[in-house]
Amino acid sequence: MRPRLLSLYAAAAFAFLHLPLAILAVFSFNASRFTVWQGFSLHWYRALAQDRELMESAVNSLTIAAVSNVAATIAGTLAAYGLWKRASPWLSSGMYLSLVTPEIVTGISLLAFFEWAFRFLNLRLGMHTVILAHVGFSLAYVVVVILARLRNFDTSIEEAALDLGASPFAAFRLVTLPYLAPAVAAAALLAFTVSIDDYVITSLVAGVDSQTLPMVIYALARRGVNPVLNAVSTIIVAGLGALVLVSERLRHR
Amino acid sequence: MNRLRAWFLAPSWALMLATLGAPLAIVCVYSLRSRGAYFGVEAPWTLENYTRLWDALYGVIVLRSFWIAAVSTALCVALGFPLALFISRAGPRKNLYLALVILPFWTSFLIRTYAWMFLLRDTGLINTLLQSVGLIREPLPMLYNSGAVILGLVYGYLPFMVLPLYATLERLDPSLLEAAADLGARPLDTLWRVIVPLSAGGIRAGAILVFVPCLGTYLTSDLLGGSKTVLIGNLVQDQFTAARDWPFGAAASLALMALAMALLFAVRRKGEDLL
Amino acid sequence: MKRRTFLTSAVALTTAACTSRPRLNVYNWSDYVAPDTVAKFERETGIRVRYGTYESNNEMLAKVAGGNSGWDVVFPSAEYIGPMRDLGLLQPLRHEWLHNLDALDSYFRFPPWDADLRWSIPYMHGVTGIAYQRTLPTVDSWSALWDARLAGKITMLDDPPEVLGACLKLLGYSVNSREPDQLRQAQRAAVEQKRLLRAYLNAEARDQLVAGDIAAAQAWAVTAGQAIASAPERLAFAFPREGFARFADTMAILRESRRIEAAHRFIDYLLRAEVSAAIVQATQTATANAAALRLLPEATRENPVLYPSRETLARGEWFEPQPAALQRLRDRLWTEIKSS
Repeated sequence: MRPRLLSLYAAAAFAFLHLPLAILAVFSFNASRFTVWQGFSLHWYRALAQDRELMESAVNSLTIAAVSNVAATIAGTLAAYGLWKRASPWLSSGMYLSLVTPEIVTGISLLAFFEWAFRFLNLRLGMHTVILAHVGFSLAYVVVVILARLRNFDTSIEEAALDLGASPFAAFRLVTLPYLAPAVAAAALLAFTVSIDDYVITSLVAGVDSQTLPMVIYALARRGVNPVLNAVSTIIVAGLGALVLVSERLRHR
Repeated sequence: MNRLRAWFLAPSWALMLATLGAPLAIVCVYSLRSRGAYFGVEAPWTLENYTRLWDALYGVIVLRSFWIAAVSTALCVALGFPLALFISRAGPRKNLYLALVILPFWTSFLIRTYAWMFLLRDTGLINTLLQSVGLIREPLPMLYNSGAVILGLVYGYLPFMVLPLYATLERLDPSLLEAAADLGARPLDTLWRVIVPLSAGGIRAGAILVFVPCLGTYLTSDLLGGSKTVLIGNLVQDQFTAARDWPFGAAASLALMALAMALLFAVRRKGEDLL
Repeated sequence: MKRRTFLTSAVALTTAACTSRPRLNVYNWSDYVAPDTVAKFERETGIRVRYGTYESNNEMLAKVAGGNSGWDVVFPSAEYIGPMRDLGLLQPLRHEWLHNLDALDSYFRFPPWDADLRWSIPYMHGVTGIAYQRTLPTVDSWSALWDARLAGKITMLDDPPEVLGACLKLLGYSVNSREPDQLRQAQRAAVEQKRLLRAYLNAEARDQLVAGDIAAAQAWAVTAGQAIASAPERLAFAFPREGFARFADTMAILRESRRIEAAHRFIDYLLRAEVSAAIVQATQTATANAAALRLLPEATRENPVLYPSRETLARGEWFEPQPAALQRLRDRLWTEIKSS
């Protein structure tokens, strides 16, 4: 009985999560720009394709998310392992602080810090500042997820590896890391999500060349209902959904 | 082992110093300065920003923020736990379900919030449906109040609860559950007395990842609360934009961070580290 | 030897390619040009334009105040020109590079905030009034937004000078009042209004006006104009009899810019009648460019919402920059309004 109930609940939960998206998708084909259905149309998708700003910002967002994701996941996994071995109150507090700080504060303080640093460095705001900011705030998420899984890890397996002559790094690489693989994947997923959706911090530290998708979307959305946004959302979901289905197929080969 | 650990921690130290340490120092400095006329900070040094926080006006905001964050977190735990349990038991389809959880959140948060506004408005989808079926006569005010904000927060942060919970539940030893069943425990008992305690780590990780951002949220309360429901996040945000009082905003956010840190210290178990 | 030659020439070519096409970085409000405005400029001049947008003056100021944001042309609102000039952020304009200055409306040729157009060129302008459903009895006063019968269906702008301005006007004072006592009265009026208020909304109010969720909203003429265009039988716009605020957005060049000539060319391009007219057609804003107005259809020129009569405009007041101490008071009052 339990599994049936659980499955039913899961179905309802997934419906809740996807309902707004479904609505957006339906109305992305609405001929009218208002929330009254007035016929099927691909008008908004055409408008989307012609919007140079939107396209460029999408590329920027993906680049930033990909680069910062890799860096944050690597640094975070290593840090979680190190913290698990022996606690570091300062680093842990720092990580926690970075989660607690309101985004506007992180953004303004990073902007001030960069402005100050640029007096000596002859740089200006740009993709590099955004990526650095993103790695910074993604790190704590990665560490939290991986540490949660490490706490359930049986250290005796690692010790056995060490007893058998493996170096500490080899023990980590060959024993612990494979165990951590699902958590690393979950953490990377989380970091990517956090990065690709960030508006506040990014808008403050972005430079002339680093307009991101959330920034463009925020501008559009502030003007009211705009079906181009529906089209954006539908494309993202459809694309990602396809990606997921394809990867599932490949795994089952 | 210690050398290895030092190397492993080094990148994070560097990152934290650059993206947290130095900027935080700047925020502390800001909180002790006076505001510039149109923008920024200037001399003289002052403690006025902190003394100003003691006003009852801001106390109400703090309480309201904690309340909304707590309710949202509790709802996330209640709604997220069964979902994470389901996914962890789903066998080969695990990754598919995980992706389904994450998928909505790869679209813009702003767009999703606007979707909810469309659903919740007086002339929105839900009210229109309810009225056409005859269940209600006047539209229900579902937008621009605390309820809408909580809904938005739960919707926005559910995956931050589900993912860590899943990571913990996935590693649950099934033989423990079999043992419980062998000893005569009913499924509900097994849940409460075996599964939940064993996944406490995941619940706490998830609760942190949800409660803290909820505490500092501002976009949700801005959009779904109609910019009327002022939470700490809105207060701070306003200081750095419309109200142009950076020092006060810095002091308010340092107070917020101190509160959250104190809370976490209170919640952590003896001998255990923060994270 | 061959490898070195190849490398040096490769580097030389790349740098040449990077610097051969001149650039310009323009930072504007969102939705303030026509879809092809920038592209046409690029084609005509060969200058590659990077176009970024912002949502508020404060956001723009936060980015450019450091003096090395990378932007060349920005669009501050009129009351920010004085402060930005005092902060040393603006470049004095070279009128000899601006050939289309006479396209400007005679009033905006010598605006009150920058009479010799030394720092800024007026771009678009508007007023703040009340957009409302026609089913309501005549709306002609700010007190309509304090009407208890409309509770839950009233919105105000999410903008401190606008909200305080409306309250001050309701009480019979100037929007630029410098009397702390008057400002406090205005703040109390705003707090009183919160019980009746649906939300603080800017441009989002448009769709809700059209849908009927909002009965009366404090709105910019632009927003109201767009809403009325979608539902002309149901919506209307009022210029309150107590008076109202006027605003203008201007074009300016940042002092940090190293592409001053290109920046002037862009501003001059936007001053061209056909370009400005095309922008107005796309954005439905009110332009300060008289030559452009002459090119527009009569319906646009006679639009009472965007181009009201002189008698109506006489009741309007331009926002002025405030001295530091009063700015602090106003901002603190805004925080208190929002927090209660």
